[in-house]
Amino acid sequence: MTTPMLSVSGLRAAYGPVQVLFDVDFDVEPGSVTTLIGANGAGKTTIMKSIAGLVAPAAGEISFEGRDITQAASHDRVDAGLCLIPEGRLVFPGMTVEQNLRLGAIAPAARAGHSEMLAEVFRRFPRLEERRGQQAGLMSGGEQQMLALGRGLMARPRLILMDEPTLGLAPVMVKQVFETIEELRATGFTILLAEQNAKVALELADRAYLLENGRVALSGSGAELLDSPDVRRAYLGM
Amino acid sequence: MDTLLSGQLLFAALVSGSLYALVALGLNLVYGTLRLLNIAHGDLVMIGAYTAFWMISLFAIPPILSLFIAAALCALLGWAVYAGLFRRMLAKPELAKRVEANSLILFYGISVILQNLAALAFTSTSRGYQYLDTVITWQGISMTGNRLLSLGVAASVCFGALLFLRFHLFGWGLRAVIQRREAAQVVGVNLNRVQLLTICGGFAVAGVAGVLVSMTEQITPFMGFPFTIVAFVVIIIGGLGNIGAGVLAGFCLGLVETYGIALTSPGYRSILIYGLFVGVLLVRPEGIFTKAVRS
Ligand SMILES: Nc1ncnc2c1ncn2[C@@H]1O[C@H](COP(=O)(O)OP(=O)(O)OP(=O)(O)O)[C@@H](O)[C@H]1O
Ligand SMILES: [Mg+2]
Repeated sequence: MTTPMLSVSGLRAAYGPVQVLFDVDFDVEPGSVTTLIGANGAGKTTIMKSIAGLVAPAAGEISFEGRDITQAASHDRVDAGLCLIPEGRLVFPGMTVEQNLRLGAIAPAARAGHSEMLAEVFRRFPRLEERRGQQAGLMSGGEQQMLALGRGLMARPRLILMDEPTLGLAPVMVKQVFETIEELRATGFTILLAEQNAKVALELADRAYLLENGRVALSGSGAELLDSPDVRRAYLGM
Repeated sequence: MDTLLSGQLLFAALVSGSLYALVALGLNLVYGTLRLLNIAHGDLVMIGAYTAFWMISLFAIPPILSLFIAAALCALLGWAVYAGLFRRMLAKPELAKRVEANSLILFYGISVILQNLAALAFTSTSRGYQYLDTVITWQGISMTGNRLLSLGVAASVCFGALLFLRFHLFGWGLRAVIQRREAAQVVGVNLNRVQLLTICGGFAVAGVAGVLVSMTEQITPFMGFPFTIVAFVVIIIGGLGNIGAGVLAGFCLGLVETYGIALTSPGYRSILIYGLFVGVLLVRPEGIFTKAVRS
């Protein structure tokens, strides 16, 4: 039995008096794509932010590669090897593509090898290299998503948290994002993916969790969730 | 017309412009990274000025050395304010949302306290001292040594800060925090350290400005407020949180003020400064030097 790369147990979170996560438990195995699906407001982003250290959990434990990181500062988590590609991309709009990427490698563990990593990101996303001098705020949504992912890779993460990477993208870009995720898995990255595009996300997932109102309502392999009548009715429109 | 084209006037404009730029730099850094509206900023200038005065009067330490003492003293104050008050407020999202509005009132309180403490300790008698006040004439421009020193120090600190922000990785992190705080955390910027060092640095710069001011002007417990106002005018003209533009705006204000007064009369000083301020707010509320890209 392998230890999970990420283990979340009993996670509770609240915004002021409003509790939005209720004892959430799940694991992410190394080398896998694990998917969180759920309706708007189910709590996917809150889970992602809790793991990245942007939201302080009210209770529960988060451990990464066997280490308890529940109380760690967000920059220590990046340094430890996990990295969030946030919902809405959050690129630095007034900086160029290249400056955004350079900032991606600001964590001490990533600084030394940043120029090799830049070459690697440009190889994966030639479009970013073409646009390296452009202001990030002026790029299209798809390009910004690519940039956000490239910026995340610059930190040399082992675990990538992707929060709705296909939000607002045209179908052809959506397809490309999922291809990229598969490529990343093939090259050894571990991925936790929150998605509204339930069908594709589940087809891709090694393991999947369905969230409802801040609780894990169902879990299983991607295929199992795809076959579940509840999921088919509520999320796949079948 | 002759006076307008003279180097003399340009020199005067640069001296006051560089000082405005310096005072505004500290305010802008603190606002940009912490979203704190530091109404007590000018009082740090006052503290720097008294530091220089007492150092030279009591220990015969020249202002050029007091620059470092005042910077350290104000940096220490910055640390106390951050660790004592704001770290907790900024860490709690509910409080952090209101921190901008609350900071205004809190710093107003700090300002009143600092002014009254200074008045109690030093009385409200205005103080002054003489330092490098012999006139040097160069290319027909008469300058006093202290004004030359003031210009040199203020301009170097401003441009040094800009270079640091542009070329040092810490400066990149700082700019990232200014531009998008949450994204900066996402990439792994140590937010706490950036905030702490910024508030210490921003306060220190105000202390340095105070030492420079004290070489040529009277020192009183209440001298700070006009500097607070000027600093706010400058950073609003340049664009809040936009560091480079703020420095440029400081120099511009010095030019407008000096040349405006030369064309009219000293009585118009406030009208010129506030006129520029209101004009900018009407025409370009986001600041004249702000780039269009800011989503
Ligand atoms: N900053 C906030 N302050 C208050 N409530 C919030 C905040 N962020 C999220 N919430 C609430 O928390 C709940 C969970 O939100 P969350 O963003 O985690 O959902 P989500 O599953 O990511 O939704 P979506 O699919 O729309 O992105 C929602 O009810 C939302 O209204
Ligand atoms: Mg979300």
